[in-house]
Amino acid sequence: MSYVLSSERADALFSELKKQYRIFAPKRFKAQGRYSDTDIIRYAEAASLEEIVFDEKSDYPAKEVISPIQQALFFFTEDEYRASKGNTRPILLFARPCDINSQHIQAKIYAGNGGYVDMYYERMRETVKFVLMECPSSDDTCFCVSMGTNKTDDYAMAIRVDNDGSVKFKVCDEALKPFFSQSTVAEYEPKFVKENETKVTLPDIPNKEVLGKLKEHPMWKEYNGRCISCGACTIACSTCTCFTTKDIAYGDNPEVGERRRVTSSCQIDGFSTVAGGASYRNTAGDRMRFKMLHKFHDYKARFGDSHMCVGCGRCIHRCPEFITITNALNKMCNAVEEIKAEKGGAEK
Amino acid sequence: MNRDINIKKTRLNCFRQSKVPGVFMLQMRVPGGMVDAKYLEMIEHISKTWGDGNFHFGTRQTFDICGIKYDSIPQVNEYIEDYICGVDAELCNVDMNKIAGEPREWDPKSGYPTIGARNITACIGNYHCICGNINTFELARKIENLIFPSHYHIKINIVGCPNDCNKAHLCDFGIIGCAKIEYHPERCVGCGLCAKKCEHGATRVLSLNPKTGKIDKDPCCCVGCAECVKACPTSAWTREPTDFYKVIIGGRTGRQTPRLGKMFLNWATEETVLSVLANWQKFSAWVMDYKPEYLHGGHLIDRAGYKKFKEIMLDGVTLNPECLVAEDVFWAETEYRSNYNVKPLETHHAAGPQKA
Repeated sequence: MSYVLSSERADALFSELKKQYRIFAPKRFKAQGRYSDTDIIRYAEAASLEEIVFDEKSDYPAKEVISPIQQALFFFTEDEYRASKGNTRPILLFARPCDINSQHIQAKIYAGNGGYVDMYYERMRETVKFVLMECPSSDDTCFCVSMGTNKTDDYAMAIRVDNDGSVKFKVCDEALKPFFSQSTVAEYEPKFVKENETKVTLPDIPNKEVLGKLKEHPMWKEYNGRCISCGACTIACSTCTCFTTKDIAYGDNPEVGERRRVTSSCQIDGFSTVAGGASYRNTAGDRMRFKMLHKFHDYKARFGDSHMCVGCGRCIHRCPEFITITNALNKMCNAVEEIKAEKGGAEK
Repeated sequence: MNRDINIKKTRLNCFRQSKVPGVFMLQMRVPGGMVDAKYLEMIEHISKTWGDGNFHFGTRQTFDICGIKYDSIPQVNEYIEDYICGVDAELCNVDMNKIAGEPREWDPKSGYPTIGARNITACIGNYHCICGNINTFELARKIENLIFPSHYHIKINIVGCPNDCNKAHLCDFGIIGCAKIEYHPERCVGCGLCAKKCEHGATRVLSLNPKTGKIDKDPCCCVGCAECVKACPTSAWTREPTDFYKVIIGGRTGRQTPRLGKMFLNWATEETVLSVLANWQKFSAWVMDYKPEYLHGGHLIDRAGYKKFKEIMLDGVTLNPECLVAEDVFWAETEYRSNYNVKPLETHHAAGPQKA
């Protein structure tokens, strides 16, 4: 069922929803951007509908709510430990189709990989219901249509804020329907972006031989001189899941503390350092190659259904060096075609 | 040429004597080095009509038009009325009918009333630059009406960040845009990039704590450049909303005693900076017994002594709570952090060809 609410009614609804749910949504943080007098838009608990940024894509992804940059896993004292409680109240998470689709990918890594379920992810995910934020249009970094992630039906409720301030809702979740018992019924079906300005072609890597040659291809060397290995792309990524854990002692007592999970990035120097000090992927180009192949070959080779990218374009938006994943994909495609052509030539 | 010319008067009118008798160069003020590009047509017209067809960027960011004959000066002055009114009177809110705060009627066709306070220069600041913390030319426009028109000399340079490209350390009053930085540890992934940036490009106040995986900061020596904010991939470092400034005094070049300026104020807000600068006329007048001389601000500070300077400049000023003031000034080379360069040998920078 769909409804239309005036801006005042929508505010009142928001207040009602807040009594039962924690509401997380993209919010504008004034002047907290990378450069002075620039803003960032990131996820945080929203106090009102007005705080939510609808007309611009957030700089950081919705995944930050479900798998926060930092979280306590358990607390320890001497020989005892206790798991953290995590979030206990139900959450409404305002998210775009790319962010919602990314959770299907994240779930594969956290809860469908090697028969092990990450309880910290799972317990949080179970508290979350998605509120689909309709995309009025896409910006020039979006390529969700190419990735097939521009649509979703995985939402409890869909929302569109019209220019006159009125708000349309499509409510699917039974638990949310009572909130709308007094609301005006309307015709509303969320629209999805049908075409992006940016389009990508995905590389077709047919076998291990081509994959091997692609790894050796000189295209990756360009990134040695351009990428500064800051990891902003993976932090902004809707799908990346890498984290590290660390035991933090409280004050000067090493027997009391917590085990903490902190987001990590394959792009940062030292990510691949192993016990004994050996390190792999020692150049920015190597790390870029790893990321690209992980996202556009390895993940699909393991899980079969999709690539590990939803085309949200946040990595492009956040890269301080103007490196675009879309151009890297084009280069990969060209390199693969080059390798295939060489192979064909050699066979003749 | 045989003509009786009072060159001190022409200089006061912003026409500078050249080595060719009777030929002058006009210097037009561009507060903060930024004006509407429409004025370039005026510059071209002056240059082609009365000048020698050339144009020079003044070292203090003035529009300099050379080759103007003495006889043309009245016509040029009449022509630049629109420029002076548009830029100084309107853009900078300058009361042209005052000199150093005292009423004095200005004939708009007579050109600049004084050369005293020099053009306020500025880097492009955060209007464009990724390093800039403040809008430099907007600040210049707010300061212009505090120092101009006045016969008292003062050179003010504004910079958007402590990199000091526009040399706040080499003028009477250098104003450096700074940011106070907030840390959001819950967003920090412990990559240490900020600490590397701070070590390579600033004062090495950040370090990655291996026990916590977070950043420790020595806040006393932070220069407020915000390189950590720029470097951070997660927005764990952000600028506080208020703009802050360092005020550097007494820097200068010259034939006698060139020196770098020293810090007078740190973490001053715009309001503090403006109210301090509003005392400049009073200080200059006091030092020179109320008779303007062709002497720049730094020399006035020397004559009065820093303590007297401080007393008059801070008179009636309510400092913002964060603002720190130099108790004394030790004129020497500038070091933001004493002995900051005394550090482990292996971290020293190498010079010359290195082994692979």
